[in-house]
Amino acid sequence: MRKPTKLLCCLLVLLTGCARQAPPDTVRGAPAPQDRLVLYTSHKEEVYQPIVTEFESRTGIWVEVVPGGTNELLARLEQEQDAPQADVMFGGGVDSLEAYSHCFTPYFCEDWDVLDPAMRSSIGLWTPFSALPVVLIYNTKLVDPARLTDWPDLFSPAWQGRIAFCDPSVSGSSFTGLVTLLQAVGADMDETLQTFAVHLDGHQLEHSEQVLDAVADGTDLVGITLEETALKRAAAGGEIGLVYPDGGTSCIPDAGALVAGAPHPENAQLFLDFIAGLDVQQRLESEFSRRPIRKTPVPGTLPALDSIPLLEYDVVWASENHNKILMSWAFYLGGGEAS
Amino acid sequence: MKPACSFRTRLFAGFLLASLLPLLLCSALLLQVFRVQLERQVESECQEYLDHVSQSLTALYDGFSQTARALQASPYISPILAERQYENAMVYTELYSATEGKRSHARFDLYDSSGSCLYSTGSALRQQPLPTRWGILYAAQQTDGLAVAPAEGGDGDAAPLLQAAACLTDADGKAAGYLVATITRAQFHQQLDGTYGSRNDLLLLDRYWRPIYTSQTSLADSLAPLLRERLLAGQPLEQTGSEFFYRTAFLQEPGLYLVLQCPQTFNQASRRLLATVAAGSALICVILSVLMSLRLSRQMFRPIQSLHRAISQVVQNNLDVCIAPERNDELGQLAQRFNGMVAALKQNQKQLVENQRELNEAQIRMLQAQLNPHFLCNTLDTMKWISKINQMPQVALMSTDLADILRFCISPDEFVPLRREVEILHRYMEIQSIRLSGRCRFEVDLPPELEDCMVPKMILQPIVENAVLHGLDGVENGVVQVRARQRAAPEHLHIEVADNGHGIPPELAGPYVRPAASGAHSHLGLYNVDTILKKHYGPACGLWLARRAEQPGTVVTAVLPLRKEEPSC
Repeated sequence: MRKPTKLLCCLLVLLTGCARQAPPDTVRGAPAPQDRLVLYTSHKEEVYQPIVTEFESRTGIWVEVVPGGTNELLARLEQEQDAPQADVMFGGGVDSLEAYSHCFTPYFCEDWDVLDPAMRSSIGLWTPFSALPVVLIYNTKLVDPARLTDWPDLFSPAWQGRIAFCDPSVSGSSFTGLVTLLQAVGADMDETLQTFAVHLDGHQLEHSEQVLDAVADGTDLVGITLEETALKRAAAGGEIGLVYPDGGTSCIPDAGALVAGAPHPENAQLFLDFIAGLDVQQRLESEFSRRPIRKTPVPGTLPALDSIPLLEYDVVWASENHNKILMSWAFYLGGGEAS
Repeated sequence: MKPACSFRTRLFAGFLLASLLPLLLCSALLLQVFRVQLERQVESECQEYLDHVSQSLTALYDGFSQTARALQASPYISPILAERQYENAMVYTELYSATEGKRSHARFDLYDSSGSCLYSTGSALRQQPLPTRWGILYAAQQTDGLAVAPAEGGDGDAAPLLQAAACLTDADGKAAGYLVATITRAQFHQQLDGTYGSRNDLLLLDRYWRPIYTSQTSLADSLAPLLRERLLAGQPLEQTGSEFFYRTAFLQEPGLYLVLQCPQTFNQASRRLLATVAAGSALICVILSVLMSLRLSRQMFRPIQSLHRAISQVVQNNLDVCIAPERNDELGQLAQRFNGMVAALKQNQKQLVENQRELNEAQIRMLQAQLNPHFLCNTLDTMKWISKINQMPQVALMSTDLADILRFCISPDEFVPLRREVEILHRYMEIQSIRLSGRCRFEVDLPPELEDCMVPKMILQPIVENAVLHGLDGVENGVVQVRARQRAAPEHLHIEVADNGHGIPPELAGPYVRPAASGAHSHLGLYNVDTILKKHYGPACGLWLARRAEQPGTVVTAVLPLRKEEPSC
């Protein structure tokens, strides 16, 4: 190829090559790093969105929300431990958070003193958001409430095969429910697990939402779930009644926790202050059907926490025996028998 | 025909380059110019739209601020709100006069300090109190001016979309109540519809890029989070190859972002169309180039091919070829010259053939001439012996001489020593002496150093014969003298044959000139000798005629170069 031809080719390439212009300058308005907060949350959008919006408008901090399941997000946090992306893990029962305590750094929120002592972490590992008692539910049309007052009532032959219960390996709340059952019954763990499995007839649900669906539409008669979801469904007109078991139930808070090595720790602390703060807690019951965790009871329609019989839920035992319980459960549900 | 093919290919490539390159350059340039122009136009259009929407929203905001200031300035409103009085006509009068001309854009409500709605320009009071520790009222407390926030409430057209609130304070600066302006989706739509281009979509985002209003409801869930994500990731809003591009504007006062989504001016379809047109043109170019190159190369190639064919014919010795003259250009001239050249060649060849034929004939003649003389010689020898037997010594002598002369004549040598030539002259003169009964004498003056000179055979006999037959005709005591002399510089041999006869007419003196045709026969001998000498040695040699000075008679001088050996031809 001779020189002029080469030159022409170059020109041609140049002309056609710049057919795309460079993109316009970066958009104004992108926040500076110190004005950002990365939030991993297992809450539903209807819960986190109003809180995040209000937080943004009050503090001027841009919140990047990464939604996901509790276990999924915790696993991700553990993976990212060397270079954490998230500032706050928002959501998940404190038993789950405790299990991943190495991913978090303690922080005592502004209002730590005025939080219910039963609901706060003694070392400040997590900041509670709302209290979530485990409750029994029943279909108001098909079940006489008098026949379901306590945990052992679940073993009545009347509910054989018609108990709505979610796979505890999938749902954290279902696991909490199972441990509460074990602790409330108080008998040998394996025996109780086997008895319960026999009463389920090997049938468990894949999603915690399905527990409410199954009871509300009469597929199942009774179920185990959290107070919050049951109240919400009942408020939406579902045929669901709540029972706080006489023998006591657990009341594990869900919480937010400051990620160890968070890129924006100050903003994360502001956020944790905010979720335990008065303004958010006051709206918990009315807006989210959740139970606040401050000492001073907030006037509302929920039965006071004092009036609900509570168990001493052993979070540490539950986390330590997490895998063992799940393994035994899977064994008995599959038709295994206690030795 | 490989060379022709390569020529054609080169011609084609040249045409292709000459036609395709400008086309492509031109297309690319035009495309570029067109695109830049279009983009500039669209850009300015977008800017206009954005400006228009910004102005419209800023005006709305200013209107609300004005209302808030007017209500704040009113001496009645704050105290009455602080006392939570319902249905006060004075408040309504003030509210309506302050919202004059703005009520079609929004609904205005007055709330007391606990968040209960007391007055409204809408049809009914809002039953649901607004939280004062949350949302818009809380934001209003935190700012001196208007707080703006997206309103929560459904998706329908009548659902509230955007709220602006101002805190109305009492004399002590404490919050006495709130003014809240609520714009529904329908009102917003009405306000902005048609101001941002029919093909574009508008997104109104809050300070943190959360959607408040989108011209298509679905965009709030699909596009707005995506844009926010890109903004936070520091990426440009439009991804390469996307169908849309985005222009943003920030409204400082209400703290809102406007994002205009516009379809790419150069979308896939138009790009494909332009590419098709360009490819089509290029194809036409290629076809034209092929046709042109074929045609031109054929025009060029045909005469060259006929020339080539003709040359092949010539190489095969066919000289009858002729290229038909078809054109008058350089190729036509070339053909004409070729024709001329072939004609000349043909002529030369003809000449050559003729010469060859003549040569052959001469050779045949010579061979024929050589056939019989041996028989003649033998016959003459026989005659000699018969004459001797029959006592006829003269016949015997003549026969012997004649046989010697004959042998000399038919010998294959072309050149002979001068001595031999003189010897033959003696034989000849013996015959002549017998014939003339001794009336003629023969004298030879040949210096010994010249005896070996080589001369053409039989050049002296014709001269001597001429002298005897013509010069001495009827002369008594005739003498024929032959004298050979060397002349220097250049070395020439002069052989003079002198007689004492009648002499030649004076006009014949000088170099021998062939006389006119009438007397030709008589001098054929001289003519032959002169021709032989000239042919052998060039025009400087030949015969020279002269009259003798002091006595009658003629001297014929043969001039030839002095050579001791046979000349090579």
